[in-house]
Amino acid sequence: MILSWQFVLMIVLSSLFLAWFLYRPIKANLSDDDSNISINRQRQDELELDISQGLIEKSQYQEAEEEIIRTLASELNNNESKNITIKPLIWSMMIFLFVGVLSLSVYSQLTPKIIPNADNGINEPLSMTESINNLENYLIENPEDFQAWKMLGLAQVGTGNIDKSIESFEKAFLINPNDIDLLLQYASAIAANQDGKFYGKSKILIEKALSLDPQSIQVLYFSGIVAAHEGNLNGAIEFWEKALYLMSNDHPDRNIIEEALGMVLNLQVK
Amino acid sequence: MLIEVGHFALVLALIISVLLIVVPSIGLYQNKTSLAQLARPLVWAQGFWVALAFFVLMSAFLSNDFSVKYVADNSNTQLPLLFKASAVWGSHEGSLLLWVFVLSLWTVAVSIFSKRIPSDLINQTLVVLGAISFGFLLFLLFTSNPFERLMMPPIEGRELNPLLQDFGLAVHPPMLYMGYVGLAIPFAFVLSALIRGQLDSTWIRWTRPWALVSWSFLTVGITLGSWWAYYELGWGGWWFWDPVENASFMPWLVATALIHSLSVSEKRGAFKQWTVLLAIGGFSLSLLGTFLVRSGVLTSVHAFATDPTRGLFILIFLFVVIGGSLILYTWRSSLLQQSNPFSLLSRETGLLINNILLVTAMLSVLLGTLYPLILDTLNLGKISVGAPYFNAVFVPIMILGVIALAVFPYVRWKKDSLSRVFNLLKFEWICVVLLTLLSWVFIADNIFVLVAVGLFIWVVNHVLVLFIKRLRSKAKLSMSFIGMIVAHLGIAVFVLGATVTTQLGIEKDIKMNIGETQTIAGHDFVFNGVSPHSKENYSGFIGDITVFKNTKKVAQLNPEKRYYQTGMPMTEASIDPSITRDLYVALGEGLGGGAWSVRIYYKPLVRWIWLGGLMIAIGALFAAIDRRYFLRIKS
Repeated sequence: MILSWQFVLMIVLSSLFLAWFLYRPIKANLSDDDSNISINRQRQDELELDISQGLIEKSQYQEAEEEIIRTLASELNNNESKNITIKPLIWSMMIFLFVGVLSLSVYSQLTPKIIPNADNGINEPLSMTESINNLENYLIENPEDFQAWKMLGLAQVGTGNIDKSIESFEKAFLINPNDIDLLLQYASAIAANQDGKFYGKSKILIEKALSLDPQSIQVLYFSGIVAAHEGNLNGAIEFWEKALYLMSNDHPDRNIIEEALGMVLNLQVK
Repeated sequence: MLIEVGHFALVLALIISVLLIVVPSIGLYQNKTSLAQLARPLVWAQGFWVALAFFVLMSAFLSNDFSVKYVADNSNTQLPLLFKASAVWGSHEGSLLLWVFVLSLWTVAVSIFSKRIPSDLINQTLVVLGAISFGFLLFLLFTSNPFERLMMPPIEGRELNPLLQDFGLAVHPPMLYMGYVGLAIPFAFVLSALIRGQLDSTWIRWTRPWALVSWSFLTVGITLGSWWAYYELGWGGWWFWDPVENASFMPWLVATALIHSLSVSEKRGAFKQWTVLLAIGGFSLSLLGTFLVRSGVLTSVHAFATDPTRGLFILIFLFVVIGGSLILYTWRSSLLQQSNPFSLLSRETGLLINNILLVTAMLSVLLGTLYPLILDTLNLGKISVGAPYFNAVFVPIMILGVIALAVFPYVRWKKDSLSRVFNLLKFEWICVVLLTLLSWVFIADNIFVLVAVGLFIWVVNHVLVLFIKRLRSKAKLSMSFIGMIVAHLGIAVFVLGATVTTQLGIEKDIKMNIGETQTIAGHDFVFNGVSPHSKENYSGFIGDITVFKNTKKVAQLNPEKRYYQTGMPMTEASIDPSITRDLYVALGEGLGGGAWSVRIYYKPLVRWIWLGGLMIAIGALFAAIDRRYFLRIKS
């Protein structure tokens, strides 16, 4: 169970606030009869105003007045009732226990089993290996979690375990084959095992990404690389020029694409 | 830790909602006043924790806390501050949190502004509202938690849907939710009256101002949505009969019937059973709308959820609420006092006609919205029900409604004579016919426009006559009367604006070369070309079009084509607005050689649509602050 002083404070504050009103309850103001009498009296006042201003005729006034009296008579029910007093201490304790136990139980049910490494310093950041272990354990229980498989693949690339990362990306791909980011990461991992060359499956993956989102800057960049590897320099130039066209002037990836474009243009000149 | 505090605050709000259902109920049924009176403090405590959770999520967006999955999925560091704040309700989880937050705001408002309401009624009402909160908090926490953490926070977040990166997102959903969720208040009043078996003058009296205020918000919300769609989607349309639009329009139609029915019940003690059903129907349709949007059964810019668990949860909740309410109604309906009698020609009859028309219109929209879904579910094929169906069915019903609106405010309550009404109306009819003929000669010969002009003149005329009659009789002008006048005028303004812009609007989809001129409705649109353009959250192109009328420059329009981080292209229309017409230009695709495809619209009186909507909403607010709702009740 997760318990922190903030949660305890929140429970205590809630309970004290409610206990205060058990000891000093807000006074009940009105009964139904008071309200109905006042409302029907107001109706009668409005009726008298209407007839004095000539908006209705006398016969209408009399009929309406009879209706008001009849309505009120049917509504009055003398609902005086005895007020039974309570023991505020017992109720306060019960509320405190109810709020405390139930809120912490529900919260512990809702909290994810693996606590993320939030950036507030309360939990120590996990090392890459620990993260991979945690993810692998998590995925045993949750094999359908697409994001977790993708993260595992990324983490494995980070530790240099490309073969394992390809397996993880494949699992993620089977769950969601239309995620652009995954397609690019997966293709890059395969290419890393092919001396950085995009052919075969890695090329198919990039083509799929391009068909899904032909305006994505990253996809255009990778498509340019695929074209360049195939010797299709015009194709590469087209993709990268389009990417440069779509990106803002201060885009962090602009230099990379400009360099690549410059290199291909030089090759073309040669 | 702040995120965990926000999450825990929601859990506390859920537990307090359980207390809100249980403790005051024990107090009410065992005559333990201290426990019954605990309803208000419980509401305040619950409201506080929900508000805390809401603002914690907002602070996560503002501080780019991408360790929160919802923030990472819907925001990034490049997003402008206003869009970061409004991105809180830009997707499913956050918009549901907004739902719960708005409900707690309404509940707190009821608990505060209730000094004139009998304690038992208000406590029971708060219990019902607590039960609704419980259902939604349960849904939020167990299927749509906005505080879910990511195991490895990304350095940069994804992107908020580019369609939603607009001022409209900051105002349309909160206003719409205020109306949508506000319908829970009349529902709660009705249900508590049914539970207590106390179906008297009091619940009718105190239901009406709340119904008016929530209806007013719903009107503003729908109006803002229409305005947003008009300028953001780049099609120049103001209403698309999109199923999600319909989902907010159906509760509006029923709530319109409800506020009119409540006025009869309040003034004449008639239609009480019908009023009860309308209050239940209004909120049930609001829940149905939530189901349609959240379950993923609809595909629309509004529909974010695709998780079937969520849909199932709301469907069960919907059945519990509607089923429970109707069972309670059947059980208690015998306690409802018999309606006071009224003759065939009376204002009660007029309001009954109004109610029948509004409910028929709602049913026609409901059929058009659900029919394709039902066919699809039963594997009977896919069909699309669009504007032709709705225009053919809905518009004639509404024309009858506007005619009723122009006639029945003249008719007296309880009974009236045909000759008196005819005498009052004959000069109006002469005036309407003459002015419509003049319009035919000088303005347009389009039959739809002439009908709209005729109705507009009729309603304006009747409003003026009523106003002058009241002034002549030296009767005090009540806020309720002023509200009715303003709202009815708003309907007339809306009808004229909608008809004229639909019938007389001009649209051209053309290729334009640099320096080329196109003439539309006497305006010359000169295309000066397109240049690259970028901002912090997008890059793209901006067009330059100068508009001249009789060689005098009247507008400089700069439509945009934007590409956001995801690469999604967006059309940003440029509009020259005025009360008589809008000039609207949207940029299409580049066609090479400096030429672009351009859409140009001329929209006469289009602003009247939203002006009418705002007038209707203001009218309702006037009616809600009528002095009779400030009645001092002495114990």
